[in-house]
Amino acid sequence: MRHVAKVALLDSIQAGSEIRMLSMMRMAWRNVGRNPRRTGIVVTSVAVGMAGTLISVAIFYGMMSQMVDNAIRTDLGHLQIHARGFAEDPTIDLLLKDGGQKALRSLEGDPAVRAFAPRIRGEGLVTSPTASVGIRVIGVDPRREREVSMVADSVIEGDYLGEERRALLGQGLIRRLGVEVGDKIVIAAQDLSGNMTGEAVRVGGIFRTPSAALDRGTLFLSIDETGRLFGLGSDISEIVVVADSRERGPELQARLAAALPDLEIRRWDELRPMLNSIMAVMDFMAWGLYLTIFVAMSFGIANVLLMAIFERIREIGILLAVGLSRSRLVVMVITESILVTLVGLLAGFALALLTLFLLGDGINLSAFSEGLSAFEVGNQIVPVLTQENFTIPTGVALLTALLASAWPAVRAVRLRPAEAVRHN
Amino acid sequence: MSTLEAIDVSKVYATRGVVTHALAHIDLIIDEGEFTALAGPSGSGKTTLLNLLGALDEPSEGRIFLDGECLADLNSAQLSELRLRKLGFVFQAYNLIPVFSAAENIEFVMELQGVSKTERRARTLELLKEVELEGLGDKRPLEMSGGQQQRVAVARALASRPRVILADEPTANLDSKTAERLLELMYELNQKRGITFLFSSHDPLVLEKARRRVLLRDGRIDATEEG
Repeated sequence: MRHVAKVALLDSIQAGSEIRMLSMMRMAWRNVGRNPRRTGIVVTSVAVGMAGTLISVAIFYGMMSQMVDNAIRTDLGHLQIHARGFAEDPTIDLLLKDGGQKALRSLEGDPAVRAFAPRIRGEGLVTSPTASVGIRVIGVDPRREREVSMVADSVIEGDYLGEERRALLGQGLIRRLGVEVGDKIVIAAQDLSGNMTGEAVRVGGIFRTPSAALDRGTLFLSIDETGRLFGLGSDISEIVVVADSRERGPELQARLAAALPDLEIRRWDELRPMLNSIMAVMDFMAWGLYLTIFVAMSFGIANVLLMAIFERIREIGILLAVGLSRSRLVVMVITESILVTLVGLLAGFALALLTLFLLGDGINLSAFSEGLSAFEVGNQIVPVLTQENFTIPTGVALLTALLASAWPAVRAVRLRPAEAVRHN
Repeated sequence: MSTLEAIDVSKVYATRGVVTHALAHIDLIIDEGEFTALAGPSGSGKTTLLNLLGALDEPSEGRIFLDGECLADLNSAQLSELRLRKLGFVFQAYNLIPVFSAAENIEFVMELQGVSKTERRARTLELLKEVELEGLGDKRPLEMSGGQQQRVAVARALASRPRVILADEPTANLDSKTAERLLELMYELNQKRGITFLFSSHDPLVLEKARRRVLLRDGRIDATEEG
């Protein structure tokens, strides 16, 4: 019986507490609406700050995402398989024997693998009638390479690989050599035995990718011709693997590492750690942006709330006189701050989404193409917004609103009811 | 049985080095069901004493008891709860919450008490009827006359079903006819419900209606008149 009474009492206290909270929320909401101009200014500043932050972050992340995607699609793939030791010293003699048959068998049928292609990777000197340039020679299986790389789709003149003794050169390299499609060039290299070797080929095609480094210093040749050039027989340097998605890379890496313990399996971010560093810097910049904007915003919110408190000193005195506790008064002030911020955030989201929608296919930055290509970023930036781009600034903004309301709340709580009710 | 009791209460204000003795050694007992007025000229300490008895302020010296409970022993939250459950206030300037309608102003106190919505609505309608404001529940304070606002303030003070209603110059801003009707209303509530009323006022209408008058002068009780 006593237990039943206790439960009923607890239920009634809980119900009472909910009623009081709803009452505080309602009053806070009405207070927010009592000075529309002032509330409008805060809402606008939060909305513009939020929209500006989201758009900037979306552009940052769009650039970053494109940079990573381009690196993956022009060169790295999601994973690369090499002979052990290649990561430390990538020399031509570290090879996957028999065309990497063992590794290829492991890749076939793996549900996370979308495509893979063998490559030979070596260095040499290419000579035209007017210039000699040190280059990276990449031997590829033209059919398979199409599935793992965007180079085939980036041919701007001539043809992709296929014909005998035809090479594919980047636009930057073409300019350095002063040649055009159909011209003869000579590739000189050191073969596996250490002897100098050479091959005369014609420029079969010219490609242009968002990567300036690739365009200026890479020559693609068929894998058979490259194997002959370096005297490798059927051996290859690497297998490039493209997974279903970037996210499945680690899972696939673990599986392959277990199946091929004598080989090196590395992800794109391990192959080019600088990309990770750039992403970390971008994240840091985004946080910096969130904090800068919202800290500036917090002063506005605090100022407006303080003004609202000073205008309502008598009213706060009445609330205290009729029995509102100081803790609930704090809740009311904080709720007002959070409500204004929430309205501003929603307006900011709408403004950002509308702006990004209007930007449609992306932002044309062709005026900066040379600079962007140094970072493997194309001319057209498509802003990218993830769920995190909404949740993190929302969290930061609400935390800011909470902190911004602390000072006004303290001022309100310190009011003495007897004086406050007589305030003019 | 005493409802409110002040024992040797003094109140001193010190502002920028200037010390003001607002009340000195006040001893006062207010019994249950009284209809009493604190009278005296401006600055005599009427409002200060009312604030101390209403737990809106703390005495510099002395003790105040409400239903046998010493206010000095209560913390801020307990004092809020006490004001919410046992006391009702009516102020000179009505002091309604402008963002709420008349009915919401009355309901708000019950909301703080955690009263259910159905009961709140029923009690609010009843109170509006009692203060002769039926049909005006949806009006905001600024849409009402001074007399109507003060009646809402009385209804709000009654909403918590308090033991004592403290009214600070409740008729000061009202014309004499409206003031008379308001006083009549409060007198009826006192008679019908036995609610203790304590006024601070120098309005002859109030003093005439009060069954006891405590006359203050320079922060001290000068005389007490009954009848």
